[in-house]
Amino acid sequence: MSDHVIQTESLTVYYGKHRGIIDVGLSVRPGEVFGFLGPNGAGKTTTQRVLMDIIRPTSGSASIFGLDCRKDGVAIRKRVGYLPGELSLYPNMRGRNFLKMLASLQEKKVDQSYRRELYERLDLDPTRKMKEYSAGNKQKIGIVAAFMGKPDLLILDEPTSGLDPLVQQTVMELVREAKAEGRTVFFSSHILPEVQAVCDRVGIIRKGQLIKVERVDTLTRQQFKRLHLTMRAMPPADIFAFQGVTETGREDNVIQLEYTTGLPEVMVRAAPFGIEDIDTPPVTLEEIFLAYYDRGSNGGSHA
Amino acid sequence: MLDLLRHELQSRIGAIIGWGIGLFAFGAMYISIFPEAGEQMAELADLSIYQAMGIELGSFEGFIGSTVVLFIPIILGIYIIITSTQTLAGEEDDGTLELVLAMPLHRWQIVSVKAIALGVTSFLILVIAGLGNGLVLNAIKASVEVDVTFLQLFTAVVNGWPIIMAFAMMGLFFSAYLPSRRIASLTLTVLFIGSYLAENVAGYVSSLDNLKPFSLFTYFDSSTGVFQNGVSSEDVFLLLGVALAFFVLALLSFNRRNVTVGAWPWQRSPG
Repeated sequence: MSDHVIQTESLTVYYGKHRGIIDVGLSVRPGEVFGFLGPNGAGKTTTQRVLMDIIRPTSGSASIFGLDCRKDGVAIRKRVGYLPGELSLYPNMRGRNFLKMLASLQEKKVDQSYRRELYERLDLDPTRKMKEYSAGNKQKIGIVAAFMGKPDLLILDEPTSGLDPLVQQTVMELVREAKAEGRTVFFSSHILPEVQAVCDRVGIIRKGQLIKVERVDTLTRQQFKRLHLTMRAMPPADIFAFQGVTETGREDNVIQLEYTTGLPEVMVRAAPFGIEDIDTPPVTLEEIFLAYYDRGSNGGSHA
Repeated sequence: MLDLLRHELQSRIGAIIGWGIGLFAFGAMYISIFPEAGEQMAELADLSIYQAMGIELGSFEGFIGSTVVLFIPIILGIYIIITSTQTLAGEEDDGTLELVLAMPLHRWQIVSVKAIALGVTSFLILVIAGLGNGLVLNAIKASVEVDVTFLQLFTAVVNGWPIIMAFAMMGLFFSAYLPSRRIASLTLTVLFIGSYLAENVAGYVSSLDNLKPFSLFTYFDSSTGVFQNGVSSEDVFLLLGVALAFFVLALLSFNRRNVTVGAWPWQRSPG
């Protein structure tokens, strides 16, 4: 029996000759919130659709709760709430009827009071026809559909897409609540601050290949750090041009540096010019994410 | 599964009522004009084109068979082309299938529900049309002497169901196999019209006789024989056999492939 909720091994999908994902191997632990990052076309949605058995792998394997996604899809989907990235709904159905239909198809009984609570928290009027809903309200229907059964695993593709900031916050609260109840969340997002805020670990996928899986705090700690030195006198321009350090700017009497190694050398070289203040602004996940992509395309800036 | 079927049927209630009443009105128009137009129709019966096409306008049975009984399934075919290709390919094209696939259902259950819904819907439409036309027939019996009974006309109209099911399941298969709804509906339309023309053209071009067995309309009787001899059970079984074969093909095709938009079968194949 697997001790992971999601596990993929060498998962590869080709659409004819076109690349979907290549050799993706990841595991998601019980009770964690796993963020899946990557630009459009990187393979996030393909991975999630394989997990839901909507598309089948060309090679490799994917399992959820220790069950094979291909062979045991029905047993798996009884315990999974899924929000697709491009949500389309039957235009002539009313939101409430659609959700009732989905609830009736789920084996686990849906708590109606929780569903009503979701309507209220998301500020959703479920009595209208789908074609009358804005994109944001359609997304809310999808969110209710995914969360209403309190599934053991939530697979969410860009869950806050099209939502206003207040509702985005509500969705993140729902994710936190799911985690607090011991449920597992696997979600992709373009909004990196929200990933940083709720995720335990992230996987970064680039051109179909998983290039990094790491804890969010480790990732932010391991990567380059930022140092702002307020100087009494400005040193020469190339004084910090050595291995592991990059000078990113100078403004008034502040020198902005990013470094991976060589901090003592920075201090030794800066000291003769008089250090008045030191600031270490935090590096965001977004910057780390972009650094990974830079590294993939131009060899990186902190080599 | 039953909940999905209920949803499918509920979403088709408007179509059942609308198409049922529409086809009833279509048939009622022809039946009700017979007392006045019957003699003129009998004159047209001598035209060789009608004789070659097997259209018998000289009697009430022939007139009703060539109009009401023949054209109700042909008109209903339009609905079937639209709706059978919408069920999988259309929902796949517009993305509504995605959330249904995320439910704990086997793919065969989804295809079966769609097939049952198509069958029930088309059957109920024909029942409404058959009942309505039977009532109109009873109403004109006071002004013209006809041998056709309510039950015979009702049976002849509902006898359109096997051929409709054959085309519906063909549409379901194209919907599951071909890359888009547009291509699926185009293919089914060509086959539907082609099948009708093949049966008719072969009626007056003897060299094309060998086309007849390939036309499903060959196995659908709208001649006076359907009133005189009843429905041919062999034809019914043959058409339902074709329907079953295409249903199985649809099941196999949908069960084995990726759900993607615009991909040809060889691109959808996982391996």
